[in-house]
Amino acid sequence: MPARNGMRIALQGPMYFLGLTFLGIGGLAQQADMPLGVVLLTTVLIWAGPAQVIFIGSIINGLSLPAIALSISLSSVRLLPMCVSLLPWLRGRKPSTLLAVFSTHQIAVTAWVESIRRLPDMPASERLAWFMGFTQTLFVGALAATGIGYLLAGALPKELAAGLLFVTPVYFTLALFRNARDAIDWAALALGFVLAPVLRSFLSPGFDLLFVGLIGGTAAWLIKRSLRTRSLKNSGVGR
Amino acid sequence: MSGDIWNWNWWSGGLWPYLAVIIFGFLPSEIWRMMSIFLVRGIDEKSEVLEWVRAVSTALLAAVVANIIVAPAGALQFVPLWARAGAMVLGFVAYFLLRKSVLAGVFTGVAAVIAAALWAPVVH
Repeated sequence: MPARNGMRIALQGPMYFLGLTFLGIGGLAQQADMPLGVVLLTTVLIWAGPAQVIFIGSIINGLSLPAIALSISLSSVRLLPMCVSLLPWLRGRKPSTLLAVFSTHQIAVTAWVESIRRLPDMPASERLAWFMGFTQTLFVGALAATGIGYLLAGALPKELAAGLLFVTPVYFTLALFRNARDAIDWAALALGFVLAPVLRSFLSPGFDLLFVGLIGGTAAWLIKRSLRTRSLKNSGVGR
Repeated sequence: MSGDIWNWNWWSGGLWPYLAVIIFGFLPSEIWRMMSIFLVRGIDEKSEVLEWVRAVSTALLAAVVANIIVAPAGALQFVPLWARAGAMVLGFVAYFLLRKSVLAGVFTGVAAVIAAALWAPVVH
C-alpha cells in the first residue's frame, strides 16, 4: 500500500528530524507568550520552519505585522521552485485545482527532499497516495513536537539546544547528497554550498538564497547540457 | 502600542492572533505554493524545464544549509565554526560507514555538536 509505505519512510527518520526542529519552534512561541493554539495554527497553515521562526521571532522583537508578512514572503520564495518541480509528479490522472492546492500545501523542504527522487521511480498511480501518507505523518509529528516544545520551553540546556539546531543542516546535506545522481545534481549542490557564503555578504537576506539558487541551478543545468553535447559528438550521434 | 492596528497586541486575546496568523503568516507564504499551480500548467513531468527547476531548488537548499553552518542563529553560535564544519564531516563519515544511513549521519553530527558545545564552547 503506497500510503502506508510513505508513512513507513517518514517514521524511519524524517518525522523525527522535523520534530526536533519543531520542538524549537514550540519553545520560541512559549517565550513569545503566544497561546498554544496560535503556534499550532502556524504549524498547520504556514508549514515552513524558517517562516514560522521569522513570524514568532519578529513578534518577540515587536515588528509590525506588515513588515513580518514581507519577510515571511521573502523567506518562502524557496517554496516556488520546490513546488514547481514536485507538483507535476502529483497530478495523477484527473488533475484538479483543489487537489493541487492541497498537495502543494504539504510541500516544504523535508517533503521535497524525500519525494523528489522517490516519486519518479514509482508507478504513476501510487505517487499521490505515497506522498500524502508521508506528509500527513510529518504533520502529526510536527504538531506533537510543537506542543511538547511549548511545554518544555526554557528547560533545555543551551548545549542541547545547539544540537537541535544542527539537525536541519546535517539532515538536509546528507539527504541532498543521497539524492544526487547525475552531474547536474552534483554541480547544483556544490555551487549552492560555495556561492552562499560568498554572496550573502553582498545581497540582502532573503534575496541571497534566491540568487544562489538561480545562479547555481542555471550553471549546473548548462554544465549538464554541455557534457551531453560533448558525449553526443564523441559518439558520432550529434553530427 | 495597543492602539496600533498593525501590532500583534492590537486586540490582545480573542481571535485576533489567529486571524493575524492567517493574514500575515499563512497568505504571504502560501502565495508561492499557489503560484506554482499556474506555472506548471502544460508542463510535462519529463520536461527539460523541470530539470532546471530541480537544479535551482537543489542549489537553493544547499545555500540554506551553508548559511546555517557559516552564520548560525540562536544556540548554535555557542559552537565555533571549526566544530560546526567538523561535525558535518563526522556526519558524513558515519553516513558512509553505516551503509549510507542518513539516520546514523544525523545522529553522529548532532552528537558532535553537543560535545563541542560542552567542551569547546565559544566564550562570550
